[in-house]
Amino acid sequence: MEYKLRKAEPKDVPDILRLVKELAKYEEMEHQVALTEKDLLEDGFGETPFYHCIIAEIQGESSSEGNPKVGGFAMYYFTYDPWVGKQLYLEEFYVMNEYRGLGMGSEILRHLSDLAMKTRCTGMMFVVAENNAPSMQFYKRRGAEDLSQEEGWRLFRFDKDSLLKMATPAEE
Amino acid sequence: MVERAETDRPTGKADTGNQQRPQTGGPAPDRARDGEPEDQVLVAPSNDGKIEEPFYNTYFHSSFSYLEVGYALYFYSYSSWAGRAIYMEDLYVMPEFRGKGIGKALMSKVAQLGLAAGCNQLNFTVLDWNKSSRDFYMSQGCCDVTTSMGYHCMRCEGEALQHLAQP
Repeated sequence: MEYKLRKAEPKDVPDILRLVKELAKYEEMEHQVALTEKDLLEDGFGETPFYHCIIAEIQGESSSEGNPKVGGFAMYYFTYDPWVGKQLYLEEFYVMNEYRGLGMGSEILRHLSDLAMKTRCTGMMFVVAENNAPSMQFYKRRGAEDLSQEEGWRLFRFDKDSLLKMATPAEE
Repeated sequence: MVERAETDRPTGKADTGNQQRPQTGGPAPDRARDGEPEDQVLVAPSNDGKIEEPFYNTYFHSSFSYLEVGYALYFYSYSSWAGRAIYMEDLYVMPEFRGKGIGKALMSKVAQLGLAAGCNQLNFTVLDWNKSSRDFYMSQGCCDVTTSMGYHCMRCEGEALQHLAQP
């Protein structure tokens, strides 16, 4: 089965959301996906995109309900480490079950790494759940360092409610 | 002391690499201005001389004779589940100016900017030995995602990144 990698276009938004939900389901977190197609369209294809996507498009299959043309994707954006410079941040990376074993995942990763180098990024960063052993092995085999384990970095988050509380100016 | 006046952002202004991170201890050079803090948009130098979109923004707090005593460095990011997010990469207040609420004020400003841009999350990392910071952030309503969801921060750099890029 042949596939080709390309930049996502606005028409890919329904497939992007579908794949985001599929990955969330695999992580048993499907109910956490609050994004809509409208959000993805505005945020990825407006004047200042918040994210970029690479799509793996299956070749030679007619597009229909049962045979989606988009078999895998990666969502990424650029971040900044003031010690070493630009980073490519890999937010989401997923290949549908039925299209695994074709080297699609490795090819997407190679494409992103190449893009990182071409855009003068000094590193590619991402997050992996510690109980996701297959993913951990996949990345460590390819030379990724676990900064949480090796250097003690913990990811902290303020959600919307806490953000609102914090944004209230302090009494002078 | 804490609020900053809205000034025109010098978009397209390039500071081509001479800008240093605030050094511990030393005062910033004198500036002949009034005491209002100023937002600086630092643009990464580009090989072809074009001005690029900023990869990060910095927020300074200053007081007295316009000395920069702390800063927050942030950029916009994205959650595939929750959408627009803001990431605080650095938050620093010089030791002699701590305990005055400057750190909290800087963080509050980052939160305001994030909300204004439609963000639903503010993310950042803390080292696990930094108990006082961890306790402070938790007291402000934070959640430790590494503990609660087991998320580990990973990086591929240097030779590993070059190797990954090979066909």
